[in-house]
Amino acid sequence: MELLSYDFVQRGILTGLMVGISSALAGVFLILRRMAFLGAGLSHAAFGGIALSMVLGVQPFLFTAFFTLLVGNLVQLVTSHRRVPGDAAIALVFSGGVALAVLILGWVKGFGEYIFGYLFGNILMVTREELLFTSLSFLIVLIFFSLSYKRLVLLSFSEELAKLKGTNIALMNHLLISVSSLVIVLAIKAVGIILASSMIVIPSLTALLIGRSFLSSVLISVGVSVLSVLMGIVLAFYYDLPPSGATVGAMILLFSLAFLKKSLSS
Amino acid sequence: MYVIEVEDLYFSYDGKTNVLEGVSFKVGEGEFVGVVGPNGAGKTTLFKLLLSFLKPLRGSVKLFGKDIRHFREWERIGYVPQRLGVEQNFPATVKELLSLVADRERAKEIAEYLHIDFYIDQQFLKLSGGQQQLILLGMALASNPQLLLLDEPTAGLDIHAQMHITHILRELSSNEGKTVFMISHDIGLVLKNADKVLCLNRNVYYYGEPEGSVEVIEELFGISRGVRNGTP
Repeated sequence: MELLSYDFVQRGILTGLMVGISSALAGVFLILRRMAFLGAGLSHAAFGGIALSMVLGVQPFLFTAFFTLLVGNLVQLVTSHRRVPGDAAIALVFSGGVALAVLILGWVKGFGEYIFGYLFGNILMVTREELLFTSLSFLIVLIFFSLSYKRLVLLSFSEELAKLKGTNIALMNHLLISVSSLVIVLAIKAVGIILASSMIVIPSLTALLIGRSFLSSVLISVGVSVLSVLMGIVLAFYYDLPPSGATVGAMILLFSLAFLKKSLSS
Repeated sequence: MYVIEVEDLYFSYDGKTNVLEGVSFKVGEGEFVGVVGPNGAGKTTLFKLLLSFLKPLRGSVKLFGKDIRHFREWERIGYVPQRLGVEQNFPATVKELLSLVADRERAKEIAEYLHIDFYIDQQFLKLSGGQQQLILLGMALASNPQLLLLDEPTAGLDIHAQMHITHILRELSSNEGKTVFMISHDIGLVLKNADKVLCLNRNVYYYGEPEGSVEVIEELFGISRGVRNGTP
């Protein structure tokens, strides 16, 4: 295939697969833990992190990953004591991140074009450095979900039962948020800040609609995500479309098919 | 040695109004105790204190002779919660849920014992209320516990499902010597099956044989007849 002969396409496909699998895994648990909106909140908080990294002149991906991880854990901390409702805290970091970015962009001129790439992402413009960062993050995500799978399923079922079985709920929530923050930063490279949360939500939602068991739902979520990323890259390459829009469009198409199947069978 | 020992227990959520005041009682091995009381009487709070999900304001709780603050043998306790609050599209099957708390052999044993093996591959949320309660009981039995804490295990179930679950609990208590400590709003069911009744409304109004509890229950619930027939 002509497509695969290009270095940038190979990097894009590899990155897309890793981002797709990571976000699909995180998405299932975030939705079942009623934290679906977290993806949108953190990706917009990350916007502030990206703008800040430009001013500070540091590596944007690494800095944004730490920034998002910090914000995510702060959200978890203030909501765990039930002083602030979870959705309100997420809305706060959502607007806070955008406000920070707008302030910085207004103050420091000349970053407009640079920031555009982060807003809409482009998986076909992944650098070798970013591929390495994605690979390491992917490894962390895989290790976390392999080791915590049973605990996370029980936690999604009943916090009280999970607690009785020795799960530290607060620690597990912080770990899930931390890993999800990392996944969000990866998704930003693939589809951009504005569409990053769709990588978390749409494949998982599709899977939970038609999955007949927990494991099959996780596998369907991964399948939908990977297929959408590949469809997005192919469409972008041959029809000169933005890969982020094509990827999310493919996800919505697969969700609609699943919804139709579910509606017809019930 | 008592399985549960509660001594002069106080608890408050806001530090102003006590939900529990001076609660004391002891539960022996193999006993079936039914906990009754009106809404807001502190029944679920008492369970949360027994499970160490909450910390007492004052007083002590001992499980198997050990102070709750130092108790770590949670596998000796099986718990069936009142509400799961699970997402409506939670996809796990019965087999998957059992595998979270038991190895394959034990999960099979439980499924056969509770006769849930024929719907083991079905999704939990697609089962009836009675079947779901059986699964929760199965999960509680996974570690072969000596004490079962059940928060309204028969709430919202039809009469057949209620009788089936109560029969299993009675059997676990009588034949296997497990201690059953169960909250229920179904007073008739408690009076018929429990060895002892604990009437709770912030403090203990009555604790003893079911026969002696009828007048207290009538007073506690503001009812005047029918308790003896199980139709308050």
